Amino acid sequence: MNHDVLLEVEDLRTHFFTRTGVVKAVDGVSFTLDRGETLGIVGESGSGKSMTALSLMRLVPEPGGRIVSGRIMFDGEDLLLKDSSEMSVIRGREICMILQDPMTSLNPVLSIGNQLMETYRSDERHSSRDLWERGVDLLRKVRIPAPEIRMRAFPHQMSGGMRQRVVGAIAISRMPSLIIADEPTTSLDATIQLQYLRLLKDIQKETGAAIIFITHDFGIVARMCDRVAVMYAGRIVENADVSELFYNPQHPYTEALLGSVPDLEQDVEWLTSIAGQPPNLDDMPPGCSFEPRCPYAFGRCVEEYPREFLVAQRHRASCWRLDDTG
Amino acid sequence: MTQVERHEESAAAEPLIVAENVKKHFSVTRGLVFRQTVGQVRAVDGVSFSVPQGQTYSLVGESGCGKTTTAKVVLLVESLTSGTLRFEGRDVSAFTPDQLTEYRASVQAVFQDPWSSLNPRLKVESIIAEPLTAHRRLTKAELREQVLSLLEEVGLHPSHAYRYPHEFSGGQRQRIAIARALALRPKLIVLDEPVSALDVSIRAQIMNLLKQLQIEYNLSYLLIAHQLATVRYMSHKIGVMYLGKIVEEADSHDLFDNPRHPYTRALISASLSSRPGVEREEIVLTGEVPSPIDPPSGCAFHPRCPSVFEPCADETPVIESIAEGHIVSCHLYQQGGR
Repeated sequence: MNHDVLLEVEDLRTHFFTRTGVVKAVDGVSFTLDRGETLGIVGESGSGKSMTALSLMRLVPEPGGRIVSGRIMFDGEDLLLKDSSEMSVIRGREICMILQDPMTSLNPVLSIGNQLMETYRSDERHSSRDLWERGVDLLRKVRIPAPEIRMRAFPHQMSGGMRQRVVGAIAISRMPSLIIADEPTTSLDATIQLQYLRLLKDIQKETGAAIIFITHDFGIVARMCDRVAVMYAGRIVENADVSELFYNPQHPYTEALLGSVPDLEQDVEWLTSIAGQPPNLDDMPPGCSFEPRCPYAFGRCVEEYPREFLVAQRHRASCWRLDDTG
Repeated sequence: MTQVERHEESAAAEPLIVAENVKKHFSVTRGLVFRQTVGQVRAVDGVSFSVPQGQTYSLVGESGCGKTTTAKVVLLVESLTSGTLRFEGRDVSAFTPDQLTEYRASVQAVFQDPWSSLNPRLKVESIIAEPLTAHRRLTKAELREQVLSLLEEVGLHPSHAYRYPHEFSGGQRQRIAIARALALRPKLIVLDEPVSALDVSIRAQIMNLLKQLQIEYNLSYLLIAHQLATVRYMSHKIGVMYLGKIVEEADSHDLFDNPRHPYTRALISASLSSRPGVEREEIVLTGEVPSPIDPPSGCAFHPRCPSVFEPCADETPVIESIAEGHIVSCHLYQQGGR
């Protein structure tokens, strides 16, 4: 194994068992992530991007949801073989998650200081003074003005941007090697979003953490990520370096998705839109899941899910059009 | 109101709706029995704009800038504190009850969240028929016929009429909301963040549908949005709002290619480019939008403005026309300014 690889996910499948059938939320996802690298996972709602993130944390909602197969090699160890107490240690220290809504991820009845110090309280004994100073330090790191005063504040006394910074502070408190950010800025305004994204970049530079961005916003991907994985109906359909994906998309879904995003830099008369809806995850077509909406679909697409083709170095796509063997 | 005069000259068509110096203040009260007014939230504080026929006028800005309150004023959901609203040249405040009913039929709305804007207990048929039964006298057969043709217009299947909202995806629900808004053949549709709750691939479908309907029926849109790329794609003219005021207004491409107000520039630079490798200057604003209860003195933007200078804190800038159809309210462009 390469030294730089932090995370290697192989054929991950997370299924939900319901009365009406099996919902294949994540259905054979594989990717790798190097140390310090930023990966964007893009897709629409229901594409399985958030469920992939929860599977990495082993936080799939139970009962009903289950990781049915695959391997998640994190730092050389398979997370799927860990028991729950080992996992909870990894979750706090090695892998951290920043969720979409800072209002629900902070406890409304605890002061900011309490919530920051909580992360340190669990392990060795610290004096309360030491804990307090660590808390102030964290707030300073995420550039919250007057951190000593903010330590005593409660979440409702802060604006959305500030709260999200506090969530960021908690996430980096243990210097994790992987941060999973699930739509971290969707509830923020544009100018605040930019402040926050810059902060995340700075934190990454400082700590060397790898980041996985779960998003549907190509703007964030273009601004923040080194690599992108595009998900559709539970599978990664294309995976490439950022500029390669944007300027040389190979999968028809990626191509269509990029064409449907309005451009800030120029006037566009009409956007290309993708007809139809994503398929139901409990009733997937046997062939390529994008086939019903694909303008290039041909006979083979209906019968068989395309395997992954290597387009260029570090650029893979699952589409039968790339098959030149026959 | 130089702004309004200029509009009337330059717009190809006569403006359908004109807002002149519209203000909407909310009182902040304290006490349960002996109510005292302790402050005013100046949600909308002197906004003037006009929407020409068959065109889209957009209001952009961050949360709390008053864009949605302005939309509510146009929809007559909120009453005006001061200012006038003119519809087809007539003052809305002087309307008779009959004229008001007619106004309400001609001005419709599509909201952000199609999960909460459709009644979950009604079938799609009843949802779309509701405005028709309220305003028109139609037989059952006529009603049904109209509902089916509306469904077809927004790209839904006639069989969808007999289903409930929960059976549809977000994009389809937004189509139902659009069909309902179209039912009375309105002249103006207020679009409050019509696509921000939808998935990327669905957004383009809905935006294209709205643009097609606009051309087909010569509809005017008042679009409220915060995503600038969407606004650029949809609008003819754009007003940028900050703390209840329009700080800059220009034609769509002019505003993006040649933004003047420091806030507009910051807003555009903060909107992420949809492609990597596009070199742009990045203006990072410090701080957050101040409270509209106690707005900063002078220009409300001065505490966050990167090019702030002497007069900004003391004097309120006036609206200045700097090019054809392009106005800005900033000391940098005032007569005798820097």
